[in-house]
Amino acid sequence: MTPTVTAVATNRGVSLKGVTRVFGTGDAAVHALKGIDLEIGSGELVVVIGPSGSGKTTLCNIIGGIDAATDGTVQVAGEDIEGRNPGTLDTFRRDHVGFIFQFFNLIPTLTARENVEVIVEMTGKGDKAHVPDLLKSVDLGDKMDNFPAQLSGGQQQRVAVARALATDPDILLADEPTGALDLPTGRQILGLLQDLHREGRTVIIVTHNVSVAQIADRVITVVDGKIESSTVNDNPADAADVTW
Amino acid sequence: MRATTHKSIRDLKRQWRQVAAVAVTIMLGVMVYVATAGAYQNLSASYQETYDRLAFADYVATGGVPTDVATAATDAGASDAITRLQVDPPMLIEDTKLLGRVVGMPTDAHPTIDDVDVIDGDYFDDGATDQVLLETHAAETFGIGPGDTLQIFGLDGWVTVTVQGVVDTPEYLWPARSRQDIMSDPHSFAVAYAPEDMAEQWFGEGPNQALALMPADASAADGDAVQKAMRDAGATAITPWEDQASNATLSEDLDGFDEMSKAFPAMFLIAAGVASWVLLARRIIQERPIIGTLMASGARRGRVLRHYLGQGIVIGAIGSVLGVALGMLANRAVTTAYTGFVGVPDTVIHNYPWMIAIGLAFGIVVGILGALGPAVTASRTAPAAAMRTAGSSKPPGAWSRMVARLDWLPVSARMALRDIVRSRKRTFATMLGTVLALVLVLTSSGMMTSIVQAVNLQYTEINLEDATVAAQQGAGVGDALADVDGVSAVEPTTLGQVTIVADADSYATLLHGYEPDTTMHGFRSQDGSFIDLPTDGVLIGQAVIDLLDVGVGDSITLSTDAGDTDVTIAGFLDEPIGTSVYTTNDAAATILPETSAEAFALSFDDGVDRDQMRQTITQLDGVVAYQDTRAIISTIDDYLGLFWAFIGIMILLGAILAFAVMYVTMAVNVVERTGELATLRAAGAPVRKVAGAIAVESLLATILAIPLGLWMGAVAAQQFLNTFNNDLFQLDLMWSWWVLPAAALGVLAAALISQIPAARAVKKVDIATVVRERAA
Ligand SMILES: Nc1ncnc2c1ncn2[C@@H]1O[C@H](COP(=O)(O)OP(=O)(O)OP(=O)(O)O)[C@@H](O)[C@H]1O
Ligand SMILES: [Mg+2]
Repeated sequence: MTPTVTAVATNRGVSLKGVTRVFGTGDAAVHALKGIDLEIGSGELVVVIGPSGSGKTTLCNIIGGIDAATDGTVQVAGEDIEGRNPGTLDTFRRDHVGFIFQFFNLIPTLTARENVEVIVEMTGKGDKAHVPDLLKSVDLGDKMDNFPAQLSGGQQQRVAVARALATDPDILLADEPTGALDLPTGRQILGLLQDLHREGRTVIIVTHNVSVAQIADRVITVVDGKIESSTVNDNPADAADVTW
Repeated sequence: MRATTHKSIRDLKRQWRQVAAVAVTIMLGVMVYVATAGAYQNLSASYQETYDRLAFADYVATGGVPTDVATAATDAGASDAITRLQVDPPMLIEDTKLLGRVVGMPTDAHPTIDDVDVIDGDYFDDGATDQVLLETHAAETFGIGPGDTLQIFGLDGWVTVTVQGVVDTPEYLWPARSRQDIMSDPHSFAVAYAPEDMAEQWFGEGPNQALALMPADASAADGDAVQKAMRDAGATAITPWEDQASNATLSEDLDGFDEMSKAFPAMFLIAAGVASWVLLARRIIQERPIIGTLMASGARRGRVLRHYLGQGIVIGAIGSVLGVALGMLANRAVTTAYTGFVGVPDTVIHNYPWMIAIGLAFGIVVGILGALGPAVTASRTAPAAAMRTAGSSKPPGAWSRMVARLDWLPVSARMALRDIVRSRKRTFATMLGTVLALVLVLTSSGMMTSIVQAVNLQYTEINLEDATVAAQQGAGVGDALADVDGVSAVEPTTLGQVTIVADADSYATLLHGYEPDTTMHGFRSQDGSFIDLPTDGVLIGQAVIDLLDVGVGDSITLSTDAGDTDVTIAGFLDEPIGTSVYTTNDAAATILPETSAEAFALSFDDGVDRDQMRQTITQLDGVVAYQDTRAIISTIDDYLGLFWAFIGIMILLGAILAFAVMYVTMAVNVVERTGELATLRAAGAPVRKVAGAIAVESLLATILAIPLGLWMGAVAAQQFLNTFNNDLFQLDLMWSWWVLPAAALGVLAAALISQIPAARAVKKVDIATVVRERAA
């Protein structure tokens, strides 16, 4: 029936229909998303771009289950999560998504290794024994016992990538992952994300940096809470060649 | 100004739970102050009211010719002086024989000193011959009232009299025969006021006491002059009102309130100060960029300082206003409960303006002190430095690196270990809350269990007899007692009043004589071991060491109506209740005047009916008085009942204190670490685990503080007990085995409960909003 077991067992796609998000009520209401229809295939690398305040982060948060759509259907990695309070979506997030934030959000009192281990420990998913390998894979084999304050921005973001991988997620959500980094380190992070995509994970990168779009399979432009365009990139660039 | 006021209000509102926790702690401190200081004032005033209204004697003198002594007193400045007869004869009330007390009184008018308050029935009919006024405690113990009869043993045998009225008297608010006898079997003592002519006739003697009343504005020197005049006129012993048995006993409690009104509120106020310090310090760190911006745009230092101080003042003011209000209610409740319990006829409830002012001032000062440090820090902020975001985290210290090596520990435990060292203020506050709560709980419970253990010690290891009997000499009572069913042993004993004289100092007390190999009394030496009664010399309660400045081997004089006897101090005893002299029956007989009475100590078979024993024994011919030792314990238990309630309240308050401080530090912890929490939550960590990680930190600080708190609690409890120790009570700190573990578990429970809101806060964290903010 199916070519490989993994291909069927793992739905790593995203499907949004008529998704809206309204912050506040009455006169103060902000319509951040105004009806989003979006299909992201399993293993796709999608870059979401758009001007500031257009709703990119909101979209990303709804996909990751840390924010809830006001209306519409949200299906992520085969789970319907619309209408569910983010407070109750721990298991969903643990099983399916990994976040990478603009400001890294590492715990300052934990070493690089502990920052990754704590996720394994608290979610009960993954294996502490693999944490050193994860850190080696982001080229931090020799900095594992450093505290965040002893790491550069790029190194911190690499720890964050390793941390996102600790639970072996289907979908990686990176909101402005290069926003706080200079070009070479930014490239390095994009390279890591591209590698993860090549391993078969779905990667969604949110940015207002148009150059990042060069590595995407598909570029989605959000303007004023709506998808303005969805452009397939037939020839994605290698992260190493991106400049801005 | 207006904008900053708005900001203050908004700030306080936003953190209203923590503000409330601090305010509640201040409130409790102020409340405890107003309640205890108020109870002290009001109880003193209530006693004073009764004393004034019923003209409580300032001096009661015996010896010499009472009329001469009384005249000398008025001549020397007393506003009034009277004489009266007081005798302790056997009485028979409701089939129980006891050694009572009869006090002579005029029938045509109330006495002008040591008057009585008739609470049931009437005062004497003029010229009455067979009426008595019965003191209220006896009336209650025996369940009799106006119209009932009782018998008094006089020279000519039993006289039957009728109770004309039941009275309150300033002399027996606490019914005690003497200072050495403040805890007794209620069935063993009764005071009856009798027509003076009749009393003189029954006992064949005239007035033997002179009572003096001082003018309201008399100074201590005036008092000394009157005492000197009374002595010069022949008085041999003068009891000032302060030392009068009832008053001295009740003063012990009063002093307790006085002590509490200082120490206990201080603990709450310190805790509140530290909690508000943690709270405001945290906010100021958070608001550094804003403060910097304000100051860069020209805001004055003083304005910034006032802004934060103002918030402290508001918290303090809210707490202290509520505290004063509740304190006034509690004061009324405590005073009323207490005067009701003791039976003080007058209850004065007054809210002293100075007390309210102090309460308010305390709360506000605590608010200011809590805010001062953070406010000064804020106003010293260098604008340029502050405007840069405070995000840069300090590099890890040696401790953090060391903890990294403990890789066998869960990461969340390592995180807690680092955090308690990194967030010193918070850790300090949590530990302080733990320590203060333990001190509060342990001092109150330590006092309680020490009293209970002291009573146990006194009545199971020291006073080994089940009952004591006073009898007429030669009536063969000793043999008769031995024949009573249920009596397992009878021993003769001796009892009499002596005054111990050592150089210039003297101390009036009781001399007890026992058989050399007695089984009725355990002589507990100062090291806690039990020793034999020496054949040479006397044993004395250790309180005299300080009172009379004497030591083992010293010679002292025992003075009685029969004359003076020199004896050697063979040793001191550690007895919780009272300070007496002990020697052998033979030696006692040579010291005490000859009497027509003899005394016995009895022990009973297990399981005897004690009421039955009382009835049987008191009805034996020749038995004059009977005292059930076990009944004393139940008297004491009654007396302690009110205090158990008090201890319960203190433990509750201690738990609230611990909870409030821990709640604030926990809340601050959550606020400080919102970013971390949200990140963990975004990765799919469940609320339970994340909240657990936070709780581990608070609990760790609590656990670290527990040994310190237990130790400080023990020291404080000992100090507190010491303030009560005197010749009447010598309390050593003794805890039941469960007290320390229970106290430790209690604060741990408070710490755990204070984490529940943390779990709620973790659950409510808006992950989406937090994760995009730059971590502070
Ligand atoms: N928690 C919130 N409460 C109120 N409004 C919000 C909230 N979060 C986002 N918004 C509003 O929703 C809109 C979309 O915000 P969003 O953060 O998704 O934009 P963005 O495209 O990520 O912008 P940027 O590129 O600046 O990060 C904005 O107008 C924003 O002000
Ligand atoms: Mg954004």
